[in-house]
Amino acid sequence: MSVKETDGTSNYEYVTARVQARRAALFDDEDYRKLVRMGPSEIARYMEETEYEEEVNALGSRYDGVDLIEHALNRNLAKHFNDLLRWADGELYEFIARYLRKFDAWNVKTVIRGVYSDSESEAVEEDLIYAGEFDRQFLDRLVEAGSIEEVVEMLDRTRYGEPLSEAYGSYEETGVLIPLENAVDRTYYEGLMSGVTETDNRANQLYAEFLQAEIDFRNARNALRIARSNADIDPADYFIEGGELFRASELSQISNSLDELVTFIRDSTYGDDLSEALDELERADSLIGFEHALDAALLEYSDHLSHVFPLSICPVLAYVLAKEREVDNIRAIARGREAGLSEDEIENELVML
Amino acid sequence: MAKDVKPTRKNLMQIEDRIELSERGHDTLEKKRDGLIMEFMDILDQAQDVRSGLEEDYETAQQKINMARAMEGDVAVRGAAAALKEHPEITTESKNIMGVVVPQIESSKVRKGLDERGYGVLGTSGRIDEAAEAYEELLESIILAAEVETAMKKMLTEIETTKRRVNALEFKLLPELKENQEYIEQKLEEQEREEIFRLKKIKAKKEEEEKEERAAAEAEAAEEAETVTAD
Repeated sequence: MSVKETDGTSNYEYVTARVQARRAALFDDEDYRKLVRMGPSEIARYMEETEYEEEVNALGSRYDGVDLIEHALNRNLAKHFNDLLRWADGELYEFIARYLRKFDAWNVKTVIRGVYSDSESEAVEEDLIYAGEFDRQFLDRLVEAGSIEEVVEMLDRTRYGEPLSEAYGSYEETGVLIPLENAVDRTYYEGLMSGVTETDNRANQLYAEFLQAEIDFRNARNALRIARSNADIDPADYFIEGGELFRASELSQISNSLDELVTFIRDSTYGDDLSEALDELERADSLIGFEHALDAALLEYSDHLSHVFPLSICPVLAYVLAKEREVDNIRAIARGREAGLSEDEIENELVML
Repeated sequence: MAKDVKPTRKNLMQIEDRIELSERGHDTLEKKRDGLIMEFMDILDQAQDVRSGLEEDYETAQQKINMARAMEGDVAVRGAAAALKEHPEITTESKNIMGVVVPQIESSKVRKGLDERGYGVLGTSGRIDEAAEAYEELLESIILAAEVETAMKKMLTEIETTKRRVNALEFKLLPELKENQEYIEQKLEEQEREEIFRLKKIKAKKEEEEKEERAAAEAEAAEEAETVTAD
């Protein structure tokens, strides 16, 4: 496991300059318009002529069609995010790393699921995204673990060690992965906010606000999912600390009714930004449109911050989100074309600035 | 066929009994066939509804999983699916519809709550929930369709069998029995007529003989009288 030392001064100028260059190379509306009209193999060929050339060529012999596109996208995403961690120093490194630890959480969950379902280690390895702080050797060792207990033990010295050990008893009792997965996700989300609010720097304060919004949106999304499922679950058990929108106690009270929850979000500070999404949620009785709107709102907010504070974590964060969105959009187009969705249907699913 | 039967009164009685039994059986089977057809029509309506619902559910499930794979990625969807270990269970019982044993399929653990699907709630999205929900619904429709369509097939086989039995009774067994009955009746009548004729003949012969005897006796008596007169 390799975690870079974070002492030293931040190199905002260097990182933001490189990030601006990378951001300029991202696909634009015109690229998406072209891609939407292509089939999966044409998309792969188009990608060969872009930023993704190296990954498509490297993976071309192992995968084909949309699988090739998806794996190339994930590998390219990992390369770019590793570059960010490599370039950044000091506080900036910590700010970037805390956001990219979502990939560590993803990898830990993927390994646990692989062990749980007795999958081949090669198959699990294929699904890992090497974009977080855990290095390849450590993840390879994790993949080779023979049992979930062994995975938990190997993670003992990481930030996931203690929460996973605590959740392990509950996993043994119930036999389902939910306690372990929730422990991993909770550790990631709660780690996002730790210490970030104690700052006088306005850009960092806004970064903290962005992270708060991300946690609030995650809480809102999960509360709505629980309310819609009618399952006998206490939403407070799935509450992530660090947001501004809900308190755990009030979430338990209001999330019994979807209408109450929608009204609560409508009356909150996010009400104006999410009003259309909430209307759609009430109209279509589906969370998809709402989640789509949350993603778009976060992307827009991060982009706005990047213009307000060009020499801060904000442009880097905006790039991370934009890159993730590019990967999601290309994958959505390829999978959508494979599934025979119409151009309009695919375009509706894309989140663009 | 009729020539194989011995035209005896005993056989005639046996055939009459068989005709009566066959006619009763024919009526019962006809009623059973009509009842089965009515039940079948009900099941057919139900099967048509279930089948169209199944197709609709399949389309929806495919659309949801395609959307989930598109937006969350195949890797995420496969990961969420791998977290599930408790698979649905199916038990079959049987019920009787007019003598036809049809299966009754009970399923459990098909519909799962958000906390029973195995994947964590915090790090997944509504798209995966909706795809899982759509597939749970599809699975329920498949189980219902399996029950209804198996019942329909069994009913259809039974209707065919009953129809064949009714036709066999109506067009083969009963006509044959009736032919035999007629044959025996004719034969018996003929035998009766022959017997009467024979008896008449015997009677006539007897009368002739008696007449001859009487004539002979009279002649003998006349001869004796002549002899006495001559003496």
